[in-house]
Amino acid sequence: MNATETWNRSSRTYDWLTFGDDVRQGDDKRRLFAKACGRTILVAVGTGADIKFLPPGLDIVAIDISPGMVEKAGPRAAAYEGRMELRVMDAQRLECPDASFDTAITACTFCSVPDPVRGLRELHRVLKPEGRLLMYEHVRSNVPAVGLFLDFMTYLSRPLLGPDMNRDTVSNVRRAGFHVVSERNVYFDIVKAVEAVKRYETRMPSTAPQF
Amino acid sequence: MDTRNTQPTMTGILRASFFAGDCLAAATTGVVTTLAVRLIIPPDFDMVAAMMIGMAIGTIVHLLLGLVFGPLLGMFETMVPGMYVGMYGGMLFGMRDSMQHAAVSLGTALWVGAAFGVTVAIGVHLWNVQLRQASANEEGCE
Repeated sequence: MNATETWNRSSRTYDWLTFGDDVRQGDDKRRLFAKACGRTILVAVGTGADIKFLPPGLDIVAIDISPGMVEKAGPRAAAYEGRMELRVMDAQRLECPDASFDTAITACTFCSVPDPVRGLRELHRVLKPEGRLLMYEHVRSNVPAVGLFLDFMTYLSRPLLGPDMNRDTVSNVRRAGFHVVSERNVYFDIVKAVEAVKRYETRMPSTAPQF
Repeated sequence: MDTRNTQPTMTGILRASFFAGDCLAAATTGVVTTLAVRLIIPPDFDMVAAMMIGMAIGTIVHLLLGLVFGPLLGMFETMVPGMYVGMYGGMLFGMRDSMQHAAVSLGTALWVGAAFGVTVAIGVHLWNVQLRQASANEEGCE
């Protein structure tokens, strides 16, 4: 089963499975996403559960690899107090021009993108210089017992649900060329709010696909 | 920063309710692990083997209960204390039942399992507060 099929299947139960996370972590997401400004790309919009945490008035392109997710997100996108365009798109191959966004937002996204550094390099490419990357992601814990457990859980979560539980996403952000401004623990050292910027002097990654 | 969408939704009552839910989930994991270990580990069983089997039992129990509590309380908020209760509790309960099966009644063992779960939930909560504070930095909007 490929990623599109996995997330199409998950779209049916996603809101139910994430009810507790949605309520408990909403304030942390709202606090992070309040820093978004201007033209924004929201990667992996899912069922649109996070749209309510976005500040109003943004010009957003919200993408997801799953048509099933995009369909579910439709009513929530329509209710957003700003402009929101929904598109089916792969985060690893963004069909967007270079330097076309001020902000990129991800929420529990880079646990599932098959090649996370490639996806992050794509975000680096489409962000304007000094553009901001706001990430709400879960990563591997540095607490040894918990980290090992998340390694074990990945053997179950990857085939059953899709995401990996043990990625070092903050290092991947740096590897993609971003400068990490802040890294805040939301739950344990697993769920993190990360803010990064595309520095002016940073050269565009050479591996970006050409369109 | 746009402040129109930054009002907190987690009230004190909601926060306390989730904490109570965390304790209840961990206590349930402790009780079910205790019961499963008591049923599976025979008296005078090899202690080391009992610890390893107990750990496996606790892991399975907390993963199954995580499917119930995770959507309600949050996946990681359920998984982290559940892991400590299931894995470490399973080891401890397995060790006890291999050595003191007759000396500790089932009722007492279940109470100990629940108390162990609640203690772990409180400990993980305090640990989480410390980890959050350690990384907290005021993030202003430019």
